[in-house]
Parts: sequence; structure tokens; C-alpha cells
Amino acid sequence: MAKGIPYNIALKHYRAQAERPMPQTDFGEELLRQYHPDYLRERCVDLTVGPNAGDPCHRQLAEVLQGDARIDEADLAGSPEVETDVLVIGGGGAGCAAALEASLAGAKVILATKLRLGDSNTVMAEGGIQASVEKDDTPQQHYEDTVKGAHGELDRSLAAQMVMDAPEVIRWLIQQGMQFELDQYGDLMTRRAGGTSAPRVLYFRDYTGLEMMRVLREAVFNSNIEVWDYSPAVELLSDESGHCAGAVVSSLKDYKYILVKARSVIIATGGIGRMHLNDFPTSNHFGATGDGLVLAYRAGARLRDLDIFQYHPSGLAYPPHLAGTLITEGVRSAGAYLLNAAGERFIDELKPRDYVAAAIIRECAEGRGVYAGDGQGRPSVAGGRTPGATDGKCGVWLDTPSIELRQPGIIEKRFPKLLHLGTKCGIDPRKQPPLIYPTLHYQNGGAIIDREAASTVPGLFCAGEVCGGVHGRNRLMGNSLLDIIVFGRRAGQAAAKRAHGFGRGPKKITIEHLRNFRRELMLANMPLARKSPLLFPAYAKFDVDSDYDGLRKTAAAGFIND
Amino acid sequence: MSNDPEKLISLRINGKDISAPRSHSVIQALWYAGYPRVKGVGCLQGVCGSCRVLVRRAGSNKVTTELGCELLIEEGMDVHFLIYPTPPHQSYRLEEIRSSWEVQAKFHEIFPEAEHCRHCAGCTSTCPKGIDVERGVELASKGRFSEAGELFVECVMCNLCQTACPEMIAPNHVALFSRRVTAYFHIRPSNLINRLELMRKGGLKVIE
Ligand SMILES: Cc1cc2nc3c(=O)[nH]c(=O)nc-3n(C[C@H](O)[C@H](O)[C@H](O)COP(=O)(O)OP(=O)(O)OC[C@H]3O[C@@H](n4cnc5c(N)ncnc54)[C@H](O)[C@@H]3O)c2cc1C
Ligand code: SF4
Ligand code: SF4
Repeated sequence: MAKGIPYNIALKHYRAQAERPMPQTDFGEELLRQYHPDYLRERCVDLTVGPNAGDPCHRQLAEVLQGDARIDEADLAGSPEVETDVLVIGGGGAGCAAALEASLAGAKVILATKLRLGDSNTVMAEGGIQASVEKDDTPQQHYEDTVKGAHGELDRSLAAQMVMDAPEVIRWLIQQGMQFELDQYGDLMTRRAGGTSAPRVLYFRDYTGLEMMRVLREAVFNSNIEVWDYSPAVELLSDESGHCAGAVVSSLKDYKYILVKARSVIIATGGIGRMHLNDFPTSNHFGATGDGLVLAYRAGARLRDLDIFQYHPSGLAYPPHLAGTLITEGVRSAGAYLLNAAGERFIDELKPRDYVAAAIIRECAEGRGVYAGDGQGRPSVAGGRTPGATDGKCGVWLDTPSIELRQPGIIEKRFPKLLHLGTKCGIDPRKQPPLIYPTLHYQNGGAIIDREAASTVPGLFCAGEVCGGVHGRNRLMGNSLLDIIVFGRRAGQAAAKRAHGFGRGPKKITIEHLRNFRRELMLANMPLARKSPLLFPAYAKFDVDSDYDGLRKTAAAGFIND
Repeated sequence: MSNDPEKLISLRINGKDISAPRSHSVIQALWYAGYPRVKGVGCLQGVCGSCRVLVRRAGSNKVTTELGCELLIEEGMDVHFLIYPTPPHQSYRLEEIRSSWEVQAKFHEIFPEAEHCRHCAGCTSTCPKGIDVERGVELASKGRFSEAGELFVECVMCNLCQTACPEMIAPNHVALFSRRVTAYFHIRPSNLINRLELMRKGGLKVIE
């Protein structure tokens, strides 16, 4: 790969300029085919075992879906058991919404989350949440935009449910205590996003997710919901008829497993960014390692669209310790250009995310990018990058000074988080452009659900980014925060209802499904070396941390034998 | 780049002497040096408030509090992680406040400590987001909830202010209460309400 122009030289040549001509070249589909990471050859494999056998899946994701469980019967034997009506796995927006609704419906709820309640992708969302509230907008238009954004390949009934619930979801959020940006008359402010036919994105500064998450977390803490933090789930439990009957939850505090028997289980574990697919940096939080997909898949749930992911065009490329950090699309919507090292625009900045991302990758691959590497090829352990990553050291300018020239004051007023990020990078984005490169952002696919958020396994519900179908093969900005609350709430209500109708307590619980899955893996000659779910990215070294030996049967057993 | 980002810096984190390139945050430095780090890590972008650290810089006795994902390492720094933030000890439900006239009385029932604030500024000086926390507590105590809440737009609920407060006030929860009642009682957007009304009457169906 060509290296590009060194950072210092490119910066010296950069001049802030209000207007620059739009480039004339249009590469169309060919651009995606050549440069978008989803189109990389060798990227996909067909799954061999499990409910999606035969379907294409990203190679790295296939490794964990077809990995071996972290536990077996021996771990269950001595572990304490706890009973509940509803177990929610994951404490982001979807999980909190589900827990709140289930609790409101009278169910006893345990919410187990990997780290601190609210460590999530939700807390990081900036841009906003879609809901058709303006006079010249309708749920039908919202629906059609969503279908179009998804290239038509989505579950239409889920999309219809989502847009119809949207206004009520906003009311619900306000009643939980969430604030939105209001105009002088107290009406909700709305703005456009890529792919919306009317202004429909509601927001709170560039902190929409932070505002949502801290309010939902506070609501959960002030309820009867039992919160287990630092408690990643490592497996589901099933009953004799193969229905979901709870989960095995590990504790990072006392290094033990606990069996939670539940009448209904809701998986709300979010996305996969920290799997660093194709060695990309990511905008996602630390715990986004695709665990829910693994748990659901082994328990027999069908998934969909496992070969396409969203790469957000504007992830920070420099400095290295912040690589992958998101700069909101709002900055491009406000008119910021993308410039290569020579100061030229190279794509219509408001094209769909996949095109813009591919165009940036092309500039860098063909040597027109800005190179900010160390020159020594030393692998970096940046939070947003795996050691030995292919690049992320090269990027293009996000020309923030141009919007400031056109509308002085706009950055301070509309993008306080960007200013703060600039401080961390040691630059003033009003004067100097940040260097950006696409960042792994969102998992489009996931567990198949119906309108009540039920997966294909009875007793198992899924909500949020872990699900597929709502956004098809491409999600519009602002539709995810909406999706997680719509289906989070629905999952909570449906799970509580199922729990009520249960009669006597949960039946006999087993991990029979793990044994079956292992047998399938062996029959297919799959290696059993890889353990999953991952729980944490490899660079956190969870799996070698002696603190956690209690959660590693073999290590612990070896210790006793010594 | 005149300052070589790969230059190695030596420092101590949780009692371990390590060195890592200067461009690394505290968390990345630990990972770089080969130490596992899981607890106290979160969004890695300064908004989840999990990675709270105590920091003493070379040649200084002053201990400051910061977020480990945002803090770049410096020569001779001594860093300690503070894991497991305390959950709130007070408990309330917005639905139990019957009208906006009662908010102030309820506030003092829920947060009786708030009016005992000694104005020691402990909370303000510990806040990694530079929020005027003390002023927020004062405004809330006076019943100026929307104004109090405005100060906390960037609060990441790291709980450091709560840890710092000698009066056991939980300033961040005071602030969040202030923000929540403001939305709960006073956000009534006519565009949203009109839309909900229309839909309640069965208008605006979606044809798939
Ligand atoms: C930087 C950024 C900006 C974004 N901006 C927007 C935007 O403006 N608008 C929009 O609509 N969308 C946006 N998105 C997308 C959106 O924020 C997410 O898709 C959405 O919040 C996901 O919510 P969730 O509840 O499904 O998952 P999350 O919020 O990620 O929550 C998942 C939770 O599950 C926990 N968990 C994971 N594994 C386990 C396990 N094994 N056991 C127990 N718990 C587990 C995690 O720790 C986490 O707490 C953005 C995303 C990012 C990363
Ligand atoms: S106000 Fe308190 S909880 Fe909020 S960021 Fe500051 S110290 Fe942390
Ligand atoms: S630390 Fe407590 S007592 Fe001191 S100023 Fe802050 S709220 Fe008041």
C-alpha cells in the first residue's frame, strides 16, 4: 500500500478555504466493489454448523459463532442458583428499556451486564434519534426512507412497527426524564440526516446517547430491578424441550459462575466493533464483542445478514491513542469537506456512508492520503486498533475550518463534543482539520426477531443492535437509538407476559444444547481451540489474567492438582 | 511531528512500573506493557465515566482525579484505578411527584443532605469534566432545577464528586434529578403531542 504524504508536510500545505469545487468523478458501484471492506475477497465464509449453516458470514464472526463454549457441566455442578421471572443480559439502552418495562409489568427482573451499567454503545451516540413528528412528515415516509436505506432487504413488518412506535417512544423517554433540543416555543427541534426525506432526527446537543443512557440508568437504579454489574453472561440455559430457561452468568468481582433460572431471557448485548473486523479501528465501546450472537446461536436462534457491517467514514485517524473515535456525521451534514493530502475534494461528502468510506480508503490506498505513522512499523496497542493493523495511520482531512469560515461560531454551538475531542488531540478544529479514516461502527445484522422481539427460540427475546432485520443491510443514522427503545420496550413487555403465563417455576435446566453443538462441531471437523463468547478484546488480556482463574475451569483444576 | 509519539515514557500504574509510548493513554499503556486490564474500562472515549483514576504527577504532591482513557501518560506519573463506582443511595420515582408544585419539597425529602453543603468545592475540583458542581447543588437546593441541570450537560456520572463530598451529598444524582424533573414536568412539545393525538385517533397508518 502506498504510504501517502507525511502529516507535517500535508499540514503545511493545508489552507482553510470556505468553498472548494465538487469533484466530477463518480465511480458508482465499482468504488464499493474495489474498496469497501465488505467486498474484500476471502472476507466471508459459509457457516458449517448451527441454525445458519450454509449462510455467508464474516470470517472472524464465524470463528466465534462456531467456537467452543467456555464452560461445561462441571462448572454448573457447584454453582449457586438464582430464580427470576425475567433475566436481561446487557445494560445499554435496549437492556434498560426492556428491564424497566418488564418490571413495570410486575415481573421480578435481574439485569446482568458485563461492566458498569451503561458502559455501552448507547452512551456514545451523538447524532440523534428518528421520529416523524413534523407536519410535513409521516410514519409512512419514515418507513419508506428506512426501506430505501436498507436497499429493500429488511423485515418490513419490523420497520413498520418501529416507525409507528416512534412518537410514543419519544414521549416515553421524556417521561423518564430525557431532554431534547427544543425551539423557542418548546417544540422538538428536528434535522435531516443522510437518507431522510424530511427533517426527522431529534437530538440533544451532540450528546443524545449520553443523555439517554444516564436517564435510563437512573430510572433502573430507582426501580425494583436487581442490577448485577461486572457480570458477563457466558452461556444460556435450556429446558428439556430446548426452550431458553436462563443463563450462566460469571462475576468479575468474585470470579464465580451463577446459574440464573429465568422464565424469559432478553439478550441486549449490542454490537461487535471490538472484534476489529478486517483489522479496522472501531467507534464502539470496550465490551462490544458480539457475545449475544454467540449465546443465541448456540441455543438455536437463527441470525441474518452476518456479512455486512457499517464502516463510519469519519473515525479519527490521529493521534493513535484515539484512533477509531467517532466524529459525528452531523459535521459533514453541516458542510465540512473531505480533502486528500493535496487539498482536493474527492467525493460528494453526503453520499451514503458506504460510498464515502470506500472513497477515503481509495485515496489512502492510492497514496493521496496523509500519512501519520511512526515510520518504524511498531504495532500499536491503541484502544481502537489491533496490533499489526493494516492502517489507520493514514487518513484524509475532515475540513472543519471550512464550515467555521462559512458560519463563524457553528462548531462551538453545535459540536461541543468535537471541540472537546480537538483538545484531546491537541488541535483546534476551527483552525486545523482532524485526520480521519473509516471506523467499524455498526452491526447491521443479528438475531431474527418478530414484532414482540421474540427470537426463533421460545423463551428467548432479543433487542437492540444484537438483532437483525430492522435495518436490513444498511442502517440510517438515528434509526438505531429508536430501534433499541422500540424493541427493548416490546421485549420487556412480552417477556413479562410470558413469565406470568408460566404457572409453576422454571423446569429442569440443562446445557444440553452446548453438548449438541459441540458434537456438531466435532462431526464437521471444526477446531475446538477457539473459546467464545470473547467477552473482551484480546489486547485486554482477560484470558491470561490470573485474577480470573476462577472462571477458567482448566486452570483452576490444574491448580488444585498441583 | 516534533514530539515523537513513540518515545517511551516511564511511569507507575497500580504499583507496577511500566513504560509505553507517549501517545498512549493510561489504559493503553497498561495493555502495551503486557498487563491485563478489564475492570474500570468502558467506552474508551470519555463518556461512560468508568475509568476513574487517581493521579500524582512527578514532583508534585497534589493528587487529581481523571478519566484513564483520556489521560495521556507522562514521565514519572503515579496512577491508581478506582473501580466500582458506588450506586446511588437515595431512591425516588418521578411518578410519585404529583405535580410540579411539589418538586421542591420532594427534592429535600429525597436529598436531605443537599442543604448542608459546606461550599468546600471538593466536588468541583474533582470533576474531570470541569463542571461547576458546587453551584449546581446550590441551585437545586434553591429549587432552580432547570438552571442546575443545565450545568451538567457534559456529566458522565463518574461519581467522583460523590466520593469527594464530606456531607455525603451525591451531587451528580442531585443534578440528574434536576434534569429529569425538568423534562418530566416541562417538556411538552406541541409537534409531538399533535402527532400522538392524530395517531391515537387511528390516523397515519403505515402501508407495507
Ligand atoms: C460512537 C457511536 C455513535 C452513535 N451514534 C448514533 C446516533 O447518533 N444515532 C443512532 O441512532 N445510533 C447511533 N449509534 C448506534 C447506537 O448507539 C447503538 O447501535 C445502540 O445504542 C445499541 O444499543 P444496545 O442497547 O443494543 O447496545 P449497547 O448500548 O452497546 O449495550 C449493550 C450492553 O450489553 C453489555 N454486554 C455485552 N456483552 C455482554 C455479556 N456477555 N453479558 C452481559 N452484558 C453484556 C455491554 O457491556 C453493554 O452494556 C452510535 C454508535 C456509536 C458507537
Ligand atoms: S459532575 Fe460528578 S459525576 Fe458528573 S462528571 Fe463531574 S465528577 Fe463526574
Ligand atoms: S463537596 Fe459536597 S459539601 Fe463540598 S461543595 Fe460539593 S456538594 Fe457541597
